[in-house]
Amino acid sequence: MSYVRSLVASIRVGWSRDFGWTNPILGFSLKTIAPIASTMTALTILYIGFKNGASIASAQFPFLLGYIVIGATLYAHISAYSWVPTLAIAEGKWTFVFPQVYVSTRSSPPYLAGRCLASFFSSTVTSMASLVVAVVISLYLFGVAIPLVITPLSLFLFGIALVVNIFASMGLGFLLGAYAIFASKFEWALPTYVSGLLMVFSEALFPVTSLPHPFSDIGNVLPFTEFIRASRAVLLQGSVGSYVYYLGMSFIGGIMLLVLGLLAFKYAERRARRLGVLDRKVV
Amino acid sequence: MNPRASIWLKTVYARTWVRTKSIYGEPLWVAVNVGFPFFTSLALSLLYSSAGLKSGIGFAFLGGVMVSFWGNVLWSMASQFNWDKQQGLFELYITSPAPISAILIGMSLGGILGTAPSAITLAIVGWILFAPPANPLWPLVAVTFALTLASLYAMGMALSSLYLVYGREADSVNEALHEPVSFLSGVYFPASLAFPAVLQAIALVIPLAVGMDALQRTLFSLNSTGVADLTLVYRDILLLAIMGITLLFAASKALKILEEKGRRAGTIAVRLR
Repeated sequence: MSYVRSLVASIRVGWSRDFGWTNPILGFSLKTIAPIASTMTALTILYIGFKNGASIASAQFPFLLGYIVIGATLYAHISAYSWVPTLAIAEGKWTFVFPQVYVSTRSSPPYLAGRCLASFFSSTVTSMASLVVAVVISLYLFGVAIPLVITPLSLFLFGIALVVNIFASMGLGFLLGAYAIFASKFEWALPTYVSGLLMVFSEALFPVTSLPHPFSDIGNVLPFTEFIRASRAVLLQGSVGSYVYYLGMSFIGGIMLLVLGLLAFKYAERRARRLGVLDRKVV
Repeated sequence: MNPRASIWLKTVYARTWVRTKSIYGEPLWVAVNVGFPFFTSLALSLLYSSAGLKSGIGFAFLGGVMVSFWGNVLWSMASQFNWDKQQGLFELYITSPAPISAILIGMSLGGILGTAPSAITLAIVGWILFAPPANPLWPLVAVTFALTLASLYAMGMALSSLYLVYGREADSVNEALHEPVSFLSGVYFPASLAFPAVLQAIALVIPLAVGMDALQRTLFSLNSTGVADLTLVYRDILLLAIMGITLLFAASKALKILEEKGRRAGTIAVRLR
């Protein structure tokens, strides 16, 4: 029961950190602008390729826009909350919040999980808003309606996919957090690296099969890739069979990543306690 | 030499040195800084490729190079005084005889020198991996690049004075500005090929947009004849020069006004609001 209370309290801390400085509408608006812009950048490149290249047929273009709008939005969603544990540790060291969390036993995993969940909820709202806005802007800017399958069933299944992806993103978050405990310089940059890698390997913008071996194989088994595929299957192709398969793969991969992340974090935390570096700010 | 000019120059040198040393003293920073722009450029290059426009790959890597500087302007110029305030450094600045304008100029020069290695590394890696077709007019590229950086960093100075007033809002505003400005500026693609004329005209108030347009024209000769439209390049150069001077003037004025206001209200060094 104490875990649940810690989790809920941490979710509130996360929201307070993200939106406490302003009113929620302004806070959400500011957080929505960036994913809209990054999604529009990818869509615009596809549009330029369509207008000036020779490999995209007119009939194929709306589908490809849908492919990218889903991939780019979900990639931004994953990036937004998987780096939160690193942020909570790095920022927490400077603001003396993290030392107060770890002094009590077994309190940092629920704290980091709570911060991650807080970010998941807000990122879900901003990602969905940016998806809708990107679809509308595409209609006006490129004159193309993106053929998304929007039904109660598809939205429900997509909602489940979002929830299932929490395991993988949280697992990645704990893995990065294990490093952040020891780092005092480059921890801010690590999530941007991982985020950049995800952009290439998670099939956000193009099929991973276009990468050379073994990179395409790595991308192919990532739970994030399977999550984005499952979302495309239900929102773009309306294929429940493919959705179930991809989501199952994402779930299995996500659980494995979460277990790995938690073990790595536990080990790192124990070692950091022994070495006395848990609140180290500067090397 | 005039003592005031001497102090000013010494301050510029000192601030430039500190910032440059912080990068060159830890070469791993180059690898760290190159990470995100590299992967973004790589992903967008592969998107250009899969969209059947391999000739567009150069835009993706040029964008990565310029985003390195744009990120530096936002995070290491605009926000810097706010962070200095959090750590108690800003109090030292305002109590010392060092002119704030000299500190800002030093920060800019140090920022450019510190970002250059990662930007050059990115350009070289992009060239080795993809060898994108280019038809550069080097003298114009050099002038455009220098003016773009000058006006971008002048904008950073203007923003830093503005952010001095803010507290925690600064980081959120930075996060909200980074991507939209990159998109409107056509950092990774030629805006003239994608945006309607109205949007292009609006984007002309952003130094990065003007600079990107000129760089794309002078590096990749943006038209069907394969020869850059020099009239538009000269227009961009003129605009960049005007923006640079205006922003520098605005930054100096804004800083004086806000510093004076902060001193009177006693809020200039207040850390949390």
